[in-house]
Amino acid sequence: MDGPVARSLRSPRVVIALGMILGIACCAVFAGFIAPHHPGDQNLLAILTPPAWDAGGDRNYPLGTDSLGRCVLSRLIYGARTALLVAFFAALGAMLIGSILAHISGYFGGAIDWIIGRMVDVWMSFPPVIFSLILMVGLGLGIGKVILAIILVDWTRFCRVLRSEVLVVTRHDYVAAARLLGFSHWQTIVREVLPATLPLLITLVSLEMAIAVVVEAILSFVGLGVGADQPAWGQMIADARQYVYQSPWNLALPIMAIFLTVTAFNLLGDGLRRTLDVRLAEVGR
Amino acid sequence: MITTFVKLTAARLLAAIPILLVVSTLLFCVLRLLPVDPAAMSLPPNATIVEIEAKRREMGLDRPLPEQYLIWLSGALHGDFGQSIQFRRQAGSLVAATLPATIQLALGGIVLAGILGVGGGLLLFRLRGTIFEPVADLASILLLSIPEFLWGLILLFVFGVVLHVLPFTGAVAAGLPLPPHITGFLLLDSLLIGRLDIFTSACEHLILPAVALGLAFSPTIMRVLRSSLFDVYHEEYIQQARLRGVSERKILLGHALKNASLPTLTLAGVQFGILFGGTLLVEVIYSYPGMGNLMVDAVRNVDLPLIQAIGLTYCVVVLLINTVVDGFYAVLNPKLRVR
Repeated sequence: MDGPVARSLRSPRVVIALGMILGIACCAVFAGFIAPHHPGDQNLLAILTPPAWDAGGDRNYPLGTDSLGRCVLSRLIYGARTALLVAFFAALGAMLIGSILAHISGYFGGAIDWIIGRMVDVWMSFPPVIFSLILMVGLGLGIGKVILAIILVDWTRFCRVLRSEVLVVTRHDYVAAARLLGFSHWQTIVREVLPATLPLLITLVSLEMAIAVVVEAILSFVGLGVGADQPAWGQMIADARQYVYQSPWNLALPIMAIFLTVTAFNLLGDGLRRTLDVRLAEVGR
Repeated sequence: MITTFVKLTAARLLAAIPILLVVSTLLFCVLRLLPVDPAAMSLPPNATIVEIEAKRREMGLDRPLPEQYLIWLSGALHGDFGQSIQFRRQAGSLVAATLPATIQLALGGIVLAGILGVGGGLLLFRLRGTIFEPVADLASILLLSIPEFLWGLILLFVFGVVLHVLPFTGAVAAGLPLPPHITGFLLLDSLLIGRLDIFTSACEHLILPAVALGLAFSPTIMRVLRSSLFDVYHEEYIQQARLRGVSERKILLGHALKNASLPTLTLAGVQFGILFGGTLLVEVIYSYPGMGNLMVDAVRNVDLPLIQAIGLTYCVVVLLINTVVDGFYAVLNPKLRVR
């Protein structure tokens, strides 16, 4: 029996997914070096240029330009930065709030469990898209606001799933033994319960990143996202939707970018679930 | 059986009321904390301070917040959500005008999700143990990771732009008149007045958005059906049927599917609630004239009364769907029926 990290790294799903994520992350980090143009630079003499391989394409703009003459490739690369920033911080924030509440709720039970449970009920009765739109009205535009809106909507995903896991773990004898040894509640949760719920937590973070990428794209698509000065894939889609016939590539490329990113995070989540979850790993499915 | 259903549904509806109250309070508070003045927004820009003050009094904005909430709530209970700022019409009537289109779209989506989900689930199950299993498994995960937003865009691109086979903007072709408002449901109304051309056009316009929803929500149904079929096949009566010489096909469709359908149906119900919220994106992508498009419009223009009306309507519909699904589940599940 080897460690969970080694076990995960032997899963082809995890390796492929990590490779894809690493590639996208490189684009995001080194955007300034890779991108041929500044994402906001407009060239009104060359609007809606097709990609370089099409008739009428320009080598200066490998993937063509949008309706304001901005380089599509550069905007895709800088868009990766926006998408990954949102994915990382939103998933982290939602995970922190959701898992803290889940551990409190599942470990202590009683009235506090009831209150948190009803809060989750109220939250879940709001369709997530509607909820995040309403929050964006209140918060205003900007990348920080998008992250905050996703955290405020999605903490329930962690809370609901983790709570039942905490409930199961808390019933184990070794948790009671820790209490008898004189561990405080806090120590018991951190040292005894958390290690058991960690695999599920990591899997959920990976899946939440995929969700956050989509939500950011959606909010930017309807014009309530990161704001016009920040390149985002959702904005590119909204812009291209108006000129689908003139430049279909402008629509296809950001869709592909979102698809690849979302698939990578979901594949990672699925691979981790299979390798980290001991029960599943034994069955081999 | 029917009385059980009615009783259970009524009990669940009562339980949903406190949730709805909290939701409405949240909605009211989030939007009232905004630094915008609904009174100033509903008047022309050249209005004087005195006029704005008079409007504020008329709209009840000078009263304390809890009182404002009660006024709004009692109005909302009568379907009066106040006047939309941008359309200068009752927000409630705007919602009523667009809700049927959204319901129509959601119903189309859930029917397709059911068909695709059951078909795909049976296929996945039949492929068990063959060399295609890992491929099918991976494919179902890839499908699972594409949300309705991406499906909508992908279908629009492939079938609308590249292949040019289906329309992708609006609810009917541009030249056609809208049928008179009888039920509010476009498909039904066009049939009632006998305009087959409008009906066909409306169907064509419904295909891509509904398929996008169906594709997004079928993989979950698919995977749950497959795993419940796995569970059912461990039961002894399957072995028994096999010993009696019943064909594999008949075992699957006649015995196993019936017993595996209960968890699948429950899940489909839960999915329906989520799918209803998902219609918003599909409507925006296809410029479909439903409640979702109205919502985005209201949000862009900070039209508070309209946002509150639509937000609350979405919640009510989702809670209603969940309640009815719970009731059905109780009726269908023999274990819950005995009591």
